[in-house]
Amino acid sequence: MYNIIQKKKIWLSISGVLVAISLILFFTWGLKPGIDFTGGSLLEVSYPNEVPTLDEVQGILAGVDVHSLVIQPAGDSGFILRFQEIEEDVHQQVMEKLNSLIPTTEQEMNPADLGLSIEGDAKITATVALGEVEELRFEAIGSSIGSELRNKTGWAIGIVLLAIIIYVAWAFRRVSKPVASWKYGVIAIIALLHDVILTVGVFVVLGKFLGVEVNTTFVAALLTVLGYSVNDTIVVFDRVRENLPKSDLDFEGTVNTSVNQTITRSINTALTTILALLAIVFFGGESIKYFALSLVCGIFFGTYSSIFIASPLLVWWEKLKK
Amino acid sequence: MSDNILKRIFQPSGRGKLWWIFVFIIILAIAGFFVDFGSQYNKAVDKYNLKLPHAKEINFRLGLDLQGGSQLIYEADVSAIPAEDRAISVEGARDVIEKRVNFFGVSEPIVQVNHTSDGDYRILVELAGIKDIDEAIKKIGETPLLEFKEQNSEIKQMTDEQRKEMTAYNDKALGLANQALAKVKANQDFNSLIKEYQGKDLGWVDKQSNPNVVSAVKDWKAGQVSSSLSNFGDGHSLYKLNNVREKTVDGQPAKEVKASHLLICFEGTTGCESGLSKSEAKDKITKLKQEATPENFAELVKVNSTEPGAKDKYGDLGWFVKGMMVEPFENVVFAQQKGSISDVVETDFGFHIIYKQDEQVIKEYQVGELFFDTKNETDILGPQSEWKNTQLSGKNLKRAVVQFNPNDNSPEIGLEFDEEGSKFFEEVTDRNVGKPVAIFLDGYPISVPNVNEKITGGKAVISGKFTLVEAKTLVKELNSGALPVPIKLISQQTIGASLGQQSVADSMQAGLFGLLLVALFMIIYYRLPGLLAVISLIIYGLIILAVFKLWPITMTLAGAAGFVLSVGIAVDANVLIFERLKEELRSGKTLSKAIDEGFTRAWTSIRDGNFTTIIVCLVLMYFSTSMIKGFAITLFLGVLVSMFTAIIITRNFLKILDERWLEKHKWLLGVYEKKAKQASDHQSEQGENNNL
Repeated sequence: MYNIIQKKKIWLSISGVLVAISLILFFTWGLKPGIDFTGGSLLEVSYPNEVPTLDEVQGILAGVDVHSLVIQPAGDSGFILRFQEIEEDVHQQVMEKLNSLIPTTEQEMNPADLGLSIEGDAKITATVALGEVEELRFEAIGSSIGSELRNKTGWAIGIVLLAIIIYVAWAFRRVSKPVASWKYGVIAIIALLHDVILTVGVFVVLGKFLGVEVNTTFVAALLTVLGYSVNDTIVVFDRVRENLPKSDLDFEGTVNTSVNQTITRSINTALTTILALLAIVFFGGESIKYFALSLVCGIFFGTYSSIFIASPLLVWWEKLKK
Repeated sequence: MSDNILKRIFQPSGRGKLWWIFVFIIILAIAGFFVDFGSQYNKAVDKYNLKLPHAKEINFRLGLDLQGGSQLIYEADVSAIPAEDRAISVEGARDVIEKRVNFFGVSEPIVQVNHTSDGDYRILVELAGIKDIDEAIKKIGETPLLEFKEQNSEIKQMTDEQRKEMTAYNDKALGLANQALAKVKANQDFNSLIKEYQGKDLGWVDKQSNPNVVSAVKDWKAGQVSSSLSNFGDGHSLYKLNNVREKTVDGQPAKEVKASHLLICFEGTTGCESGLSKSEAKDKITKLKQEATPENFAELVKVNSTEPGAKDKYGDLGWFVKGMMVEPFENVVFAQQKGSISDVVETDFGFHIIYKQDEQVIKEYQVGELFFDTKNETDILGPQSEWKNTQLSGKNLKRAVVQFNPNDNSPEIGLEFDEEGSKFFEEVTDRNVGKPVAIFLDGYPISVPNVNEKITGGKAVISGKFTLVEAKTLVKELNSGALPVPIKLISQQTIGASLGQQSVADSMQAGLFGLLLVALFMIIYYRLPGLLAVISLIIYGLIILAVFKLWPITMTLAGAAGFVLSVGIAVDANVLIFERLKEELRSGKTLSKAIDEGFTRAWTSIRDGNFTTIIVCLVLMYFSTSMIKGFAITLFLGVLVSMFTAIIITRNFLKILDERWLEKHKWLLGVYEKKAKQASDHQSEQGENNNL
């Protein structure tokens, strides 16, 4: 039996500090919003043979009238370009410029193939581009969609939180002593906020140092973490609910026993899910890599908080009453 | 209450019931297998010539991120339209866009209207696998154009002066041409004549490139020259055939082929209305292939082919060369023997069998030409059309409605014009009493009503032989032309096909690898129950993938992630149960009791935990974009099915094992005999450690 609850001051302080750091970073550095939120265009291209340098790409695009252009190398043969304009003709102009960077070659051609007719066997040389830029992905999002998404995100999170408090209060309605059932709900929410804030903190740091952007999928990941975190917390609370009537220990002791009884399960579950997700993080496609990573963070913090935050808080709240 | 139901379900009266459930689970798994792997199974059956029936092939519906394609979101500007007409005019615009989109030949295009909570109308267009998105955007963006046209009564006549000029020009050309003809006949050198009369060495030509020239020289010998003037409508020509040869492409003789074909299309192919699924179409054409002979081919085509016009043309394609047919079709028809009937060929249009009637090498002719241009009326006056525009256009149409003829109750279309339109309409009808007036939409005539009398008051009725459906469609079209809804592209997402495939392959591999790790962990850590859980998870996978196919759920990358997470949750349910089972065993309960206890006790945790996940999924489905929706739906279904597999399947497997045998081999459950008898916390913790 581990004395987890008894050392609650340690756990709560660690988490408190981490949450504080995350919040400070969030408000100072902030997340790096993707075009889903800000509006704008993202173009990912790949060059067939010789890949031009970043400077060459930058140089050739200087002539096109696009705002806040950011160019990053992507993979071995490509670039990701971001700019503000979302119009189709701007997109086409950019593609044309990018295509002009492809080296050309002088090639002997049969005049007839070019629709020319020349007497005799004269061959002519023509300039031919060696391949074409492949457009891997183009996203152009209007700013109205971005603001709509921000609104929806806010609403979605609000509704999820409310629904969870109500559900937990209902599920624990028969255990109102010594802690009222709605308090289980509130603590589940506190644990959940802890998980979400820390996950956001990780992505603030990733955004600052690796340029990782958050987009619609990040919102989906956060919402999933909400669900998972509550799930995890409920498993522990469920044990408390079951043990309370038959336990001859005090509240603190009962909660500690319950945490110990469920700790193997909590760790095993998190481990298996994280294993599956880590496989996606390391080997999965580019577009869901960070989605999987945000889930890994959320699930890790969710498991941690169900053991080291939610249960200690329950005991602390009970003591506060006295 | 839920406990009562659970007890009834989960405490069956005896082992007989267990076996019943077991059989049910196996049937479910087999059904799932055939839905998931129908095409692989069929391939195996074909390969080894097994006498087994074919399974119905169902494909996953892949999202744009997986198969490549474009998603476009348009905002319809309805500010100029009265509130009550907005929905219908946006619907009209949607229909127009859908029609335009259908020309791009992508499979299952999606065109939807979304009415956002802010009162905006959005039109969402998804084009899977489209190549030229730039062109598509241009086509879609055109506002529907409604025009009223009247007969072009005053066909322009040439003035005398123009006629004189034309005659003089043509006479001169004919004179020169005859002069040249005489020189040609007198065997003057053709090349010097080319220089003299600004003629042209055409080089090597064939039937494809210069049909007129070839028709004139095709029976000549090399060196032969024209003995008379040729005229194909635009002038006089004289030719010299310098040489004839067989055409080659890349060193191979180029051939042309005459063939006819029989087509059976299936749902999802371009322009198909057969209503057949892919496997049904395959069965049908395979049967036809066995029946077909060169003699009965035309008749088979007439009766069976789903190609429009097959009844009249017997699927005859005439002569064609490479590059005129779609690639798979072409590959087969050029390779097969003359007079043979091909195996089944699949193209974007469906399944074909091809009868190759004839084949010959294409001839090329080296020709020199003297050309003397002449003029005709069209050259001078420009092209003249049967119809000409009136001042009246779509912007004058206030609205169109479906109404019914008071006499015979047949559907009609009522038109109502605005003030200016009423005036124009009066003038137009006044001019055209007894004559037709045509209504054009996007350049095509949709209706050509006859004007019976001059119409005042700005209202008109188009009566004709409409069905109610036709009338309604026409009204929608008219209203969309009459109430032009300007649309603006506000979002575009294009995923190149290669990126899509790459990330599918990567993510699939990653997902499988992850699942393998989970399976290993489960077996090593939980022994026998772990193994059973892995089997039940495989059944879970079979069931859930079958549900995805049958529903059908559009699979996206996010959806795949939702699936992986749902597997995690399914594992969690098993872990909860096994941990509980171990605990109950350690406290000295009998195996059967421990299993029951383990399941019922773990159930509340599983239920409450999964319920919160379900709540989140519901919120996500309601609030979010299609990508997140995909994630939420797969996770939602996954959670529901995973509860079923954990509670019913794993439990059934555990209970069906021989209890006495298991009691003797408790290590298989991860609990050691000696320690199991002692129930203190301390000891059980050691038991725990031993297992690790």
